[in-house]
Amino acid sequence: MEIAVNQYRVDYQRRGEIVRRLALAIMFVVAASLPVVGWSAAADPIPPVGTYDGIDVEQPIEFPHNVHVDVNKINCMYCHTYARRSKVAGIPPTSKCMGCHKIIATDKPRIQKLTEYWQKKQSPPWKKVHDLPDFVHFTHERHLKRFVFDRDYPVEDVKDICAFCHGQIKDMTVAHKVKPLNMGWCKSCHEANGGPGDCWKCHK
Amino acid sequence: MSGKLNRREFLKALGVSGAAGATLAGCDLPSTITLEEGKEEVVSYFMPEEYVVPGVGVWYASTCTQCTAGCGIHGRVREGRILKVEGNPDAPVNAGKTCQMGQAGVQGHYNPDRITSPMMRDGGGLVAISWDKAEAMLTEKLAGASGDRIAWVTGTVSGHQRVMIENFMEATGAKHHYVHEVVNNRVWESVCQDMLGDANARLRIDKADVVLSLGADFMGASSSPVLYARQYAEFRRGKRGTLIQVEGKMTMTGGSADLWVPIRPGTEGALALGLANYLLRKGDVDGSVVSAELRKRIDEFTVERAAEITGVSGDRIQRIGKVLRDRRPSLVIPGAAVQGQEFGYQATAAIMALNILLGNVGKTIEPGFDVPLKQLQAKTGGTGDLVRFAENVKNKQLDVVLFYGANPVYTAPIALGFRDFLGSVPFKVALSTFPDETVMQADLVLPVASAMEDWGTHMAVNSGEQPVLGVQQPLMEKLYADTRGFGDILLGMLKQKKPDTYGQYADFYAYLSNALVAMKDSSVSVQTTPKAFWEEALQNGQVGVKAPVKKFAVKTFDVQIPDHQADAEFPLALMPTARMGLFDGRHANLPWLQESPDQIAKVVWDSWAELHPITAAKYGIKEGDLIRIESANGAITTTAYLFKGMHQEAIAVPLGQGHSDYGRYARGRGVNPLTLLDARVDAKTGELAMYATRVKIVRTDETKDIVRLGASDVQMGRGFVRTVSVDTLRRTEGA
Repeated sequence: MEIAVNQYRVDYQRRGEIVRRLALAIMFVVAASLPVVGWSAAADPIPPVGTYDGIDVEQPIEFPHNVHVDVNKINCMYCHTYARRSKVAGIPPTSKCMGCHKIIATDKPRIQKLTEYWQKKQSPPWKKVHDLPDFVHFTHERHLKRFVFDRDYPVEDVKDICAFCHGQIKDMTVAHKVKPLNMGWCKSCHEANGGPGDCWKCHK
Repeated sequence: MSGKLNRREFLKALGVSGAAGATLAGCDLPSTITLEEGKEEVVSYFMPEEYVVPGVGVWYASTCTQCTAGCGIHGRVREGRILKVEGNPDAPVNAGKTCQMGQAGVQGHYNPDRITSPMMRDGGGLVAISWDKAEAMLTEKLAGASGDRIAWVTGTVSGHQRVMIENFMEATGAKHHYVHEVVNNRVWESVCQDMLGDANARLRIDKADVVLSLGADFMGASSSPVLYARQYAEFRRGKRGTLIQVEGKMTMTGGSADLWVPIRPGTEGALALGLANYLLRKGDVDGSVVSAELRKRIDEFTVERAAEITGVSGDRIQRIGKVLRDRRPSLVIPGAAVQGQEFGYQATAAIMALNILLGNVGKTIEPGFDVPLKQLQAKTGGTGDLVRFAENVKNKQLDVVLFYGANPVYTAPIALGFRDFLGSVPFKVALSTFPDETVMQADLVLPVASAMEDWGTHMAVNSGEQPVLGVQQPLMEKLYADTRGFGDILLGMLKQKKPDTYGQYADFYAYLSNALVAMKDSSVSVQTTPKAFWEEALQNGQVGVKAPVKKFAVKTFDVQIPDHQADAEFPLALMPTARMGLFDGRHANLPWLQESPDQIAKVVWDSWAELHPITAAKYGIKEGDLIRIESANGAITTTAYLFKGMHQEAIAVPLGQGHSDYGRYARGRGVNPLTLLDARVDAKTGELAMYATRVKIVRTDETKDIVRLGASDVQMGRGFVRTVSVDTLRRTEGA
């Protein structure tokens, strides 16, 4: 009760050192025998396989992705500018919409509705379409780094990378969930492309 | 059964397998999983600040208010919400560290039981009213009461909250301000004032080579747990100081000691005199540094006498004496059990005398800072003010009482008679964030914004090596529109009373920014413009204050330590111990802290009573038995937990539980040992003698499982921690 003295400390240290060296040696052997996989810059991605048919989500404004992406060739990351910097891609601030639409297409009913929000100093209450549970840590930033920037992939074609998880948004007006976004689906892509397999990479 | 039944078939066999997935009763997806499309709203910024990236946190500096230590914090804010608190690396108190109570601050902010609107008593209950009505009521009642019948009851206050309270008192003529804290150092502060000439003397555990802690749980529930834990880490690093802990109940700090010695609780002062006697007799210390009367007292107080009073063997006392003789500088710290006696001042003074004899004063006890802005310094609380307040309530001396940051209905012992008489105070106002017991007795309740929504400043009693004024700034928008900051509530009242002085400030933010800029010359800041100074203060979360170190004027006097007297009727000393986590009960509404096991007993979500196994055997008590603990004032029933880290004549019941209100997480859980305490006070300071109550115990026939982490206290022979017997150690190491 009264006194605890670690007089065996020296012995422990010696034993610990042996264990550490052994472990290190084993690690080297194992590492050397493994094929080189994973995050090499050159590897072309293998898109995940699988589809899902989500519900039609009614949005405050029927935002036409097709007009922006397909007709006007606007890069996804022009509006979803946070995708490369953050875990979320982000809905563009209303001020960004109005940056163009103070002038462009002001006669269209959707733009008039947007302008109403703008004048009320409110953002449209968009509904979330692609959602993950709170215990899943997904980051757009890391995926864009792997599939776009690390590969020197042309940024103007980023929509084809976004399509891995979001489908052909260029053919939709408001977003529609067309990929399962569940763990098995994520995992299949991680396995195909050498993504991390540790539980805590996503569940942290 | 064949061994081939896999999980899916097993579920099928149970008839719970569907086409897509199995749903077991009780294993439903929790409601936090929102995979449904189109259910959650995702609203963009209207016009974003340039540096804001959704999904990336921004850290703002503020000051923690979970206890009175005044640690600097950084709050991580994402999408307008405060998510996490960490220590501010520049803060001299905590240097980037926080304790679990600080971490749990966000749970106070998001607590579902917060008060969301003003309320008034109507018939039996509290009903929501508007701010206009609440303010009109308060103005009317204050106008109708004479100043000497208006009182504030608060916890420790400092900075501009203190200034606002004092401005309010001046404007309304209020005469009383009772400052109440259960976990306090008031007796030590008075001893420091009387013997060293400075109430704010600073402990320097890091500079000591050996620390003798007489029941001081400085790393747990102390006045500044993070500061002392940091000092302790420094103390152990490098030269590796030695910690000797002598106490009646093993605390978290005691659990880290090199030598832990049980002592009869409250007799630590006698041990200090016995040690002084030993050192003086051997001529190891210079006796001329203390007064002749004290010298005489020490000469009479032999080691044998100390052994008889304390229950610590003379041999053990001499061994501790030898360590103190050989290793300097040392530091002897008194804990709550020393200070919380009727002779607590005397015992604490004896300990200070030992420090003076050992030459620790000036080395490991340093003078505080002479802060030029006296009105911003902490007004520290204790239990003496609670006693005086209860007395005034009983004698019907008060017409209007305002409560803020104190919950006397919960913390006052029944023996003070306070609960019965509070109803006779005509108008009780509670300014509070949570519906605690005092709020539930109030006539008017004003909802205060949470600490993470409010403005303020705080000056730590002990801020380490640099005195600072910590700046508390909102880490997010108010969750409830009808709550108001404490400063705003007071400013509102002051504006009515003195429109000429206070009318110029739109809100407390305006007042605070003005007031802070006005003290620029007293700060160490090199900023030249008011705007740059204010922005620097917000960015750093603090303002360094220019203050010279004071000088000690050492003075000693005779101390009187009574002999030990056994009590046949109430044989056990009750130790109402505060612990890191629930503290004095203020954190019982935070589930994280309820869930965090006690550092020693490892119990969660409940109360328990710690008893030495030998004491328990005397009463035929086994672990898990419900026992009735009776004092002269009342009784509580809780579960027995047998623990060798107890003195055999003591029983410890932790503080924090036993709330009758205070929200869903706190209510109706465990017992509150404060109710049992005698109304006795320390003769010199008037502080409540919190550790002087004696109790008896009775076993009931009921038992209860104690829910605790880790089922066993022994290693089952697995040798995780190697030990040697004391005899072997002495033989081999010559200790």
